[in-house]
Amino acid sequence: MSDVADVVVVGAGAAGVSAALVAAGAGARVVLLDNGPAPGGQYHRPPTMSPMWARRVAGLEVHQAAGRITLRHGVFAYAAERTTDGIAVHIRGDDRHADVTETVVGRTAVIATGAHDRHLPFPGWTLPGVMAGGAAQALVKGSGVLPGQRIVVAGTGPFLLAVAHTILSAGGSVAAVVEANRPVAVPLARAGLATGPDKAAELAGFVRSLARHRVPYLHRHRVLAAHGDVGVTSVTVARVDSDWRATGPERLIACDTLAVGFGFSAHLDLLGQLGAQLTTSADGGLAVDVDADQRTTIPGVYAAGEVTGVGGVDLAGYEGLLAGVAAAESLGLTPRLSAASVVHARQRVRVLERFADELARAFAIRDGWKDQITDSTIVCRCEEVPAARVREAVDALGAPDARTVKLLTRAGMGWCQGRICGTAVERMCPAEGATHDTAAAAAAARRPLAVPVPLGAIADHHAADERITP
Amino acid sequence: MSEFPIRIDGVNVPARSGQSLAAVLLVSGRRSWRTTRIAGEPRGLFCGIGSCFDCLVTLNGRPNVRACVTLAEPGDVVVTQAGTGHE
Repeated sequence: MSDVADVVVVGAGAAGVSAALVAAGAGARVVLLDNGPAPGGQYHRPPTMSPMWARRVAGLEVHQAAGRITLRHGVFAYAAERTTDGIAVHIRGDDRHADVTETVVGRTAVIATGAHDRHLPFPGWTLPGVMAGGAAQALVKGSGVLPGQRIVVAGTGPFLLAVAHTILSAGGSVAAVVEANRPVAVPLARAGLATGPDKAAELAGFVRSLARHRVPYLHRHRVLAAHGDVGVTSVTVARVDSDWRATGPERLIACDTLAVGFGFSAHLDLLGQLGAQLTTSADGGLAVDVDADQRTTIPGVYAAGEVTGVGGVDLAGYEGLLAGVAAAESLGLTPRLSAASVVHARQRVRVLERFADELARAFAIRDGWKDQITDSTIVCRCEEVPAARVREAVDALGAPDARTVKLLTRAGMGWCQGRICGTAVERMCPAEGATHDTAAAAAAARRPLAVPVPLGAIADHHAADERITP
Repeated sequence: MSEFPIRIDGVNVPARSGQSLAAVLLVSGRRSWRTTRIAGEPRGLFCGIGSCFDCLVTLNGRPNVRACVTLAEPGDVVVTQAGTGHE
């Protein structure tokens, strides 16, 4: 490879952009890869931009003009590996140009690939109009389009409030916010204002927004099923206990859209391919293991943002800063940051991680979600695998883990590679029903390709390459 | 923000620059634009950020394009998709 960057950053969200700015500020040559049309990730979506983010983007532009940062947007990283030159990230074009491939190599890499909404199946969840909370957010913030006329927001976690707030702010109608756990005020009080005053204020603002629009915030309630023929027309909602088991009378809420989510799942594909040690996060999902400098267990590979444990946009920014510092220093460069700002970032990371852990415990997935899963409820949306087949694999065929269920039923073998059904399948397995088995989860989440690539494109691209394996 | 039409199943539909194909499809009144391979069930937008592959369409003759992460461009021809998109 003739052209090796100092740092290749994958993901231009809050974490990746922070890392890129710090590394470039230290004099590093940075390549910043992102699959979106502009920097911002899932949170900062143009044309909606905060003044803080506008400053970051302006900073990027200064470094781009000076040749220190090369921003490649609209590219999808499909694989990463260690080579004799450093860390090679294989990319392809967007879906219009999926067969255009290229390899970008950095002496170091910062992986900041973010997360998507975590899902659990329920009867009717494949109906059009049922979508992720993140999908609703992206539509409103990115495209200026409301997902529907009358929207129910459901699942668990403070993100539900953010979704409802976004819809309401855009003039949309929210029929109810249905939170399966206790209301957001409880963990906020426990975490204490000292651990996150800005976050607490933000969440309190969301709750006030609901009150102002007279939107019911139904906590300890769950959507048991979505109904409709060619699209969702109503949802059944019931009160639930602390295990999410329905205890109260059922009621029907009419809606044309259900925005749903149960926390987030990190995009760990590239880190898994590189061989980085994965761990179980406070929310029960997988995350990559990093030290206080955002180093993974693979030399030269740093990680920041949701991949290190879901914690939100502010935590991601500080982690990105620290990753940028560590990557630059490993190359013998000196970041142009005051010692105080690095100390501040470390302190904020500790505080925000504690806050995230508190939220993760308060908004954990409880077992009662399984009660409504009938034999015909689709678990794997891609391969259209119903719950009966997953249960047969576990109960009759003795499948101990999600990977075996996949081999027996095809659940997780389709387009999304288990990103959507993985949480449910794992929790339907006996070995992992109660406690999360990191090794089994990591095996199930092993994906040789992070995004589909035409085989011909891979063959052409890698025909003449030589490389070492981790 | 410029406005332009794109073609969806043979009909002109208004789009704005920066909008995803999924947003344009929704604005056009569609909630589903694909049927599944096995049961032929309707699907539309689900994850909305490129992870689930539920929102696939055939774009300018290329099947299995994610409508949620592909921005509309002038001249685009979208065809709603059945099954694998290769039939």
